[in-house]
Amino acid sequence: MNQILLVTDGGSNVGESPVIAAAQAFADGIVVNVAGVVDEGNIGEHGATEIAEIARAGGGMSRIVTSRQLSQTVQMMTRQTVVGTIRQAVNQELRQLFGVESVAALPPAKRAEVVQVMEDLGETSDLRVALLIDASASMKPKLAAVAEAIRDLTLSLQARAGQSSVAVFHFPGDSDREPCVMDCSWTDQAARIEALFGRLRMRGTTPTGPALARVTEFFRETCGKIMSEPVQPSAPNRRDDTDGVRSDYVV
Amino acid sequence: MITSSDRQLPPGTILNGKWHGKSYRLERLLGVGANGQVYLASSGRSTCALKIGMETEELQAEANVLASLDRRERGRPPFLLDVDDAVVGGREAPFYVMQYVPGVPVRSYLRQHGEQWFGVIGYRLLKRLAELHEAGWVFGDVKNDNVLVSSYGRVALVDYGGMTAAGRSVRQFTEIYDRGYWSAGSRTAEPAYDWFAVAVLWIHVLDGKRLMNLSRMLLPQNRHPRELMALVRSNLLLKPMEPWIDRALNGRFRDSEEACEAWRSCLQTAQEAKLDKSAKVPGWMAGLFALSVALCLAAGAFWILK
Repeated sequence: MNQILLVTDGGSNVGESPVIAAAQAFADGIVVNVAGVVDEGNIGEHGATEIAEIARAGGGMSRIVTSRQLSQTVQMMTRQTVVGTIRQAVNQELRQLFGVESVAALPPAKRAEVVQVMEDLGETSDLRVALLIDASASMKPKLAAVAEAIRDLTLSLQARAGQSSVAVFHFPGDSDREPCVMDCSWTDQAARIEALFGRLRMRGTTPTGPALARVTEFFRETCGKIMSEPVQPSAPNRRDDTDGVRSDYVV
Repeated sequence: MITSSDRQLPPGTILNGKWHGKSYRLERLLGVGANGQVYLASSGRSTCALKIGMETEELQAEANVLASLDRRERGRPPFLLDVDDAVVGGREAPFYVMQYVPGVPVRSYLRQHGEQWFGVIGYRLLKRLAELHEAGWVFGDVKNDNVLVSSYGRVALVDYGGMTAAGRSVRQFTEIYDRGYWSAGSRTAEPAYDWFAVAVLWIHVLDGKRLMNLSRMLLPQNRHPRELMALVRSNLLLKPMEPWIDRALNGRFRDSEEACEAWRSCLQTAQEAKLDKSAKVPGWMAGLFALSVALCLAAGAFWILK
């Protein structure tokens, strides 16, 4: 299972559309989630719409949160995406094999068995999450929260039984020809990620689209040809997109 | 966040089970969990707790945990009574039915009955956790709301949404009780994960305000068990339990049995220390006595000399 998690605080302003880039990533089997971080002021209508659109095109979910809520949100989205991906795959199998619409259509006794299998899959399947961090000037005060969210996510992923790895990118890159920079390639070690942002140079532009495209390319380079086409969810059964707000994380 | 499951169902709502045909009458809302609401309900003449949510898979996963606990711990009445779907407000919703556990959260219990109950409650809680650990489970989401206390400090755990098979990643936790949050270890389900949460539970219950302040003020990189210990040392009620809490926060028990025994002996020591204190004659009383003797002698001497 492959995911990109975009952390940003506003709209893109350079290069191709991030919505198209997210659609391309999803076509490559990568789910794109977006966390919009806003502490004071407003993210703006353009930014808010774009964030929601990126997630929709990327088959994932989006949330606009304050930096205090970021750790929990990142956790929750990653987890929900794993659950959602498995649910889609299982429901597809159920449709094909038994002509049953979804798990909910099974009698409780059968449901218990299927859910057991789904839980096992969720815990043991391999998971790769590439974090793409907006490092434009306005993000500077939020970077500590971003670093903490990454630490927290790595901690949770380490506890999984399946193999989990995290890679970290930030954008914009150092030159205009580089949309983003890799800070850390696939790792399961939280220690390697800490103190990552010390050397970050904040710059003005926000090339969200080209950066997303670059990370998608990175998946293709490092994970070979990923699965051909993600399971296309049929519209009425989609329950894990942005409007089905839920959380399995309580405070 | 606003979810459709935030809407309360009015008392008197009848749920008719689609698969097993049982019907339930909702009496009142007991609480709201991470993925559903729990109601006190009645079916015929019996009372039960009913959890209704939106996510079939999540509710079923919880029901699975209860069912497997029931299989492991035969010889007691089962926790899980029914799993079914019902039409509520025009849409089908999954629900499951559990044994109703009366009681109030630890904090409220201590407020009503006095803080001196915490020793016995703590011991019973550890005993219950030890049983789960013995069966290969970790409770995961130990917190005030999930530990219900009824008459004479009887303890029951509710909300098994966090319960995880040992060795896997904890399914659900609460930030401030999580040892990962305090940079004190992983989120892998193991008995030590629960011990840590129990230690935080007592800090939360007996010194909640300062704990909340601490977590709000500390920078993430400074969150550490020693900060919690500093709090423990400066609280009159927690201070006697310092040795136990220190071991729990650092996962230094052989197993949960030892955690129980250590709790007991810690209480014992605290009690003895208290006894010693009250048995000793306070300084002011001795002083007054000496003064009165001196006064008597002086008066006597004065009378004789006169």
